[in-house]
Amino acid sequence: MNKARRRKDIMRTSVTWISASLAVLVLTSIFVFVFKRGAGTFSWSMLKDDYWSKNYLVAFGDVAANDFAPPDTDSEDEFFSRKFGFGLADSVDKENNQLMLVTTVSALSPLHEGTITTAGPDQGKVMAIPLNARIRRIDYLDQENNVKSTGLLGQDHSAEGAIERLEQEATAIREIYFQSTGGGIRGSIIATLMLIGLTLLFSLPLGISAAIYLHEVAPRNKVTDWIRAAVEMLAGVPSIIFGLMGVSMLFRVTNLFGITTQSVLLGSFTMTIMLLPLIMRQTEEALIVVPGSLRMASLSLGASTTQTIFKVVLPNALPGILSATLLSMSRIIGESAALIFTMGTAISDSPKISQGATTLAVHIWTVMAGEQPNFELATAISLLILVLVLGLNVTVKLLTYRINKKWQV
Amino acid sequence: MKKTKIFVIMLLVAALFAGLVACSDKKTTKTEAPTTKATEAPATDAPATTAAPEPTEAPTEAPAAALTGAIHVYSRDASSGTRGAFEELVGFEGELTDDAIVTDSNGDMAAKVGADQYAIGYVSLTTDFAANNIKAVSYEGVEPTQENVLNETYTLARPFNYVTRAAGDFGNDKKEQLVKAFIAFLTESAEGANAISSAGGIVDAAGKKPWAELKADHPIVDEDNSGIELVTVGSTSVEKAIRAALETFQPMAGNFTFKMSHAGSGEGPAGTVGAEKDSAKKGDIGFTSRPFKDTEDVSQSMSNGTFCLDAVVICAQLDNPIENLNKDTVAAIFKGEVANWEDIK
Repeated sequence: MNKARRRKDIMRTSVTWISASLAVLVLTSIFVFVFKRGAGTFSWSMLKDDYWSKNYLVAFGDVAANDFAPPDTDSEDEFFSRKFGFGLADSVDKENNQLMLVTTVSALSPLHEGTITTAGPDQGKVMAIPLNARIRRIDYLDQENNVKSTGLLGQDHSAEGAIERLEQEATAIREIYFQSTGGGIRGSIIATLMLIGLTLLFSLPLGISAAIYLHEVAPRNKVTDWIRAAVEMLAGVPSIIFGLMGVSMLFRVTNLFGITTQSVLLGSFTMTIMLLPLIMRQTEEALIVVPGSLRMASLSLGASTTQTIFKVVLPNALPGILSATLLSMSRIIGESAALIFTMGTAISDSPKISQGATTLAVHIWTVMAGEQPNFELATAISLLILVLVLGLNVTVKLLTYRINKKWQV
Repeated sequence: MKKTKIFVIMLLVAALFAGLVACSDKKTTKTEAPTTKATEAPATDAPATTAAPEPTEAPTEAPAAALTGAIHVYSRDASSGTRGAFEELVGFEGELTDDAIVTDSNGDMAAKVGADQYAIGYVSLTTDFAANNIKAVSYEGVEPTQENVLNETYTLARPFNYVTRAAGDFGNDKKEQLVKAFIAFLTESAEGANAISSAGGIVDAAGKKPWAELKADHPIVDEDNSGIELVTVGSTSVEKAIRAALETFQPMAGNFTFKMSHAGSGEGPAGTVGAEKDSAKKGDIGFTSRPFKDTEDVSQSMSNGTFCLDAVVICAQLDNPIENLNKDTVAAIFKGEVANWEDIK
């Protein structure tokens, strides 16, 4: 080999190295980015909390002021009300909204004895104000018995100001409006699981039957080829078009069930159509791998074609069908464009089949589209999605490995 | 042969790490910097220089001097109420320069302007300016503040409007009463005004009554309403203020639930009394961040009106020396007639 030739070869092979390492680089940088921004927010409470804060309005029957000893921990940012025995501190949430948090409540403080004033089954029940509650407004009585209010929705917008005012003016606390901590993604996780369940329920029977027809039953002619080409083409349609079709055509179908808004059901119908080509193709691949000798043996023992398909071919293709299912699941987890149209972008804490909800991916869209994009929460959800999809893909790889091993022996 | 191979691999590894360092946060580079060989040093330079986007970098080194270079005009998408209000108030409707970079939300606009030294854009006054690295530019010599909007000296102000469905079109009578109560809370009560202003909306607190007085007209709030869901649609700019108001009202009115699916001012009237009122985009109360257009017939609604004001604020990156702009200059910039920062008088 001469020198020029050798140089050319090195050049060519290095192009392949560079291309391959580019893919690795991109993947690594996505992981580094998501981990760095999201790992801090990722926590168990994020997974199990509601996204929307719960709002509470509790009344105190004009409890009079007392004298409470401040706690030993003397923090600069914490302000303690000696009259009513509780401490407040300023804070900001992930969306940069100002908060006022309860840091301490003395054992005998009247804050333990508020009653819920909101009409409903809980009205009149005793509701202790928990630690870390977000105080929005405190209504109090001043020396002349006028109702005044302080807090973020009152006169003062800082913990220091609010406590100072209570200490100076208040003779009794009348009512407190506070919120629980929100910002969790439990609702979106449930909605994602609902969507996966419903979609697989519709698409697996359809897709598998269609694949069996194309590969085992249909005569090998132009029409079959044409159907197969149509399915391939369906796979190339951008998901946003499926979304449009879903919201305009399938919406009428869900109307028949009495559903008048975007809903999880509508989303699952749309995803069913989107996943058909994927499931059909994967199932067909699995059917191709099943050796012809098995079919021959079954037929020669006197089994009918249908018996052969359902008793011999299908059980042997099961691992392949399973991996199609797993791939579909990661596709559903990752889909966003079609679901924005069909399931809406309003985050729901208790998703129902007949109502709109967000999947994890659309949840990211929603928190990023607001006035204050919430990068931390978005990347924390991305982290969850990446881990889920990675897990599903590894499982698919293991399954494929097992099938290949099975038929090689 | 083998040596060159090793060399190329080393180089690739170095480039890979350099890329990683470049894309990670500045503050944590220390922990992220890998223990690679000497080859890393020259490689790190490469992505750093390519990352700097602007060719005219030299004159901007001195921060005191006026900015020179092409103006990058940022605008919102066509369905935005902020854009509609801004173009109408400044008076260049339909004449926006073709070079304008279109952003798709208020937050998106703030983030992009904050990242571009040569940018000029406009956001709502409710935006967190410091967090996005942007500053508010005065208009006609008046600073954009809540006081200046209320005393009408700052003229780039716009109304936040609401429109409900037609009476009898809510599907259930309790919901209709609840919407009525919420509108009263939003427009007449002191608590509602406080909630709106805590979220950045501009509202005159004078003349508002405490909810305890208004409540008598709305007995629905003393019932258990947890089965009722109010759906709000329309402008994304009003979202924060409306969320604050709904959250405050929720425990005062029997824990009703609410769903906010806001996607732009146009969908507010459309989803309540317009063409979309029975589609998947329907809502009980619609919002716009601009006056209703002539094409939007809101006369059938149970009630409609303005619940607060907002200012549109011209913004630039924090380091930009620009302090004030006049109406004509703003129009000229957004029409593309003034193309460079040094041309602004």
